[in-house]
Amino acid sequence: MDSFLMAMSNLASGWIILSAFAGVLWGIFGGALPGISPSIAMALLLPFTVGMDATNALVLLASVYVGAEYGGSIPAILIRTPGTNSASATVIDGYEMAKQGRAGEALGISLMSGLVGGLFGLAVLVLCTESLAKVALAFTPAAYFSLGILGLSVIAGLSSGSLVRGLLAACIGLMIAFIGSDPVSGVQRFTFGSEDLLDGVKPILVMVGLFAVTEMLVQIGEPPWANGGNASTRLKLPNWAMTKRLFKPQAIGAVIGTVEGVTPGAGGTIAAFMAYSEAKRWSKHPEEFGKGSPEGVAAPESANNVVTATALVPLLSLGIPGSNSAAILLGGFLIHGLQPGPMLFQKAPEVVYGLYGGLFIANIAMLLIGLVILTPCMWLVNRPKPFLIAFILALVMSGVFAIHQSIFECGLVLGIGVLGYVLRLLRIPVLPLVLGLVLGYLVESNYRRSLLISGGEHSIFVTDPVSAGLLSLAVLLSLYTAWKEFTEKQDAKS
Amino acid sequence: MNDALVDRISGGLGMLLAGSYILSAQGIEDSLLADGVGASGVPMGVGIVLLLASFFLFVKSLKNKAAMDELPHSGETEVPAAKGSKHPHAMALGLILILASYVFLLPLLGYVVSVGILVGAVAWFAGARRYTSLLMCSVLAGPLLWLVFDWALEIRLPVGLWPMWLGK
Repeated sequence: MDSFLMAMSNLASGWIILSAFAGVLWGIFGGALPGISPSIAMALLLPFTVGMDATNALVLLASVYVGAEYGGSIPAILIRTPGTNSASATVIDGYEMAKQGRAGEALGISLMSGLVGGLFGLAVLVLCTESLAKVALAFTPAAYFSLGILGLSVIAGLSSGSLVRGLLAACIGLMIAFIGSDPVSGVQRFTFGSEDLLDGVKPILVMVGLFAVTEMLVQIGEPPWANGGNASTRLKLPNWAMTKRLFKPQAIGAVIGTVEGVTPGAGGTIAAFMAYSEAKRWSKHPEEFGKGSPEGVAAPESANNVVTATALVPLLSLGIPGSNSAAILLGGFLIHGLQPGPMLFQKAPEVVYGLYGGLFIANIAMLLIGLVILTPCMWLVNRPKPFLIAFILALVMSGVFAIHQSIFECGLVLGIGVLGYVLRLLRIPVLPLVLGLVLGYLVESNYRRSLLISGGEHSIFVTDPVSAGLLSLAVLLSLYTAWKEFTEKQDAKS
Repeated sequence: MNDALVDRISGGLGMLLAGSYILSAQGIEDSLLADGVGASGVPMGVGIVLLLASFFLFVKSLKNKAAMDELPHSGETEVPAAKGSKHPHAMALGLILILASYVFLLPLLGYVVSVGILVGAVAWFAGARRYTSLLMCSVLAGPLLWLVFDWALEIRLPVGLWPMWLGK
């Protein structure tokens, strides 16, 4: 209790508030730039935290994470370019809403869902860190494999009406994921002798190519904003009726984000896609998904913002960084002589509670900064189309170069953009491709590790209780989707 | 293109891709550290699934052309009808060439000049004809983005061959 009161007095000092606001602002800026991931935005600030007080430094870094995860949704909605991996699910309905002149509404839903998710995640972090840490420890390679299969089971829901086309796209995504070093033996696969491919293809490159470059290739052949463009240039927060409608998808996102967040390595991208798919499954208006559904924005935004807090559970309680961003935060702890883990709560409780308080302020800062900057952002994307396309492409190409300072990757993104254009012509949905790409490494590496552990026995996937539970859930969800599609087709026929 | 034709092309291309992928996967060398599945095991499995899915799509399009025409598909996966442009694919190809030129010019002319050319060329190609605006955007784009990435984010951007050309 003393530590908690100490943390509260720290908040009143003003430095934590300043750190939280500065971190969120920097994070939104970084997250909104394609190619600047939350971890890069955090890493850029890491050297500046050396001379700071430990609590302020950690609040600054954690706030960058909060801001960047939110910031990624702004270009996702406005220009179909996810600023971060986890914002790619927001593109689906967010950009559709923007095309219908409802950009302000989509941004408002994204902002409020991000706030709800962030605060829910924080509550989970504060109240359940100790018990949820046990969940993270229960995850064996077999359970991770099954988690990946559970993720892949949502392909049917993302396949735009044709499971075979969705399967085809998912296979292409998995193929891209297998490029580079084999996760077990280190053998090079599908690199065609190129040193640039040794490390594989980063998901953000594929997402920027598939969403942003492809969209520009389509837009260049269209008349100026044939659909009315982003006619609304005012931010519109959800009213009471909309807030009630969004409760269910936000709750779905919150639950899925909590589970994925506490699982090291799972991350916000899988959480966002699963939340989207489940929100569609349980929605009263599933037919609106993919055509500008507010629920389709709320669910993934809630999920990926929950992850910003729940991803800290394994870090704080076990010292396990479950993502690149958590690893940078771990660096922040170590710089200040703090070792995250069970002893952290005994040795430096004021830092932990200060971080909790800072995260609360960061979420409020996200709301306030969002309210200020979103209207100018909408104004920006309503500039004349030729200049907008030119600047979007310049920004995208610059962001891609910024990732590894690689000209090869600029060419790669262009190639992926062309692939996305061809897939559109062939009416093959790209979302299963993204899912396959994101889950490829998780599924393959843990499948093979599990078999190494079990001596080649596949029974390990059903004898491990967590794995068996996740596989059963995957089977149930797939059967439910198949049954629902079957009954819908029967209804349509009759 | 009608749905049956699209499916036939998708299925054909998918089978071609799956075939070359399986052949390529067979060529992956085994390591001394290899496990029972091996580096090629999972890719082979994915290649086979792709082959089967593509084959199914191809055969279904041949067998049931009429039914395929009625298959629902959302706007998400379609190229929207270009009402204003007569040659949307030619426009897309032109944009691809401009972007490819940018990738080629970046190491030669450096970031600031290349981005300026990219912005000007794309805006002109997309229909901008106010030459003062075009010139201003081209001149300002490079330094503006350089400030964001190089100065604010400390990401080193290519300077091109200018130091060599200027004898520095």
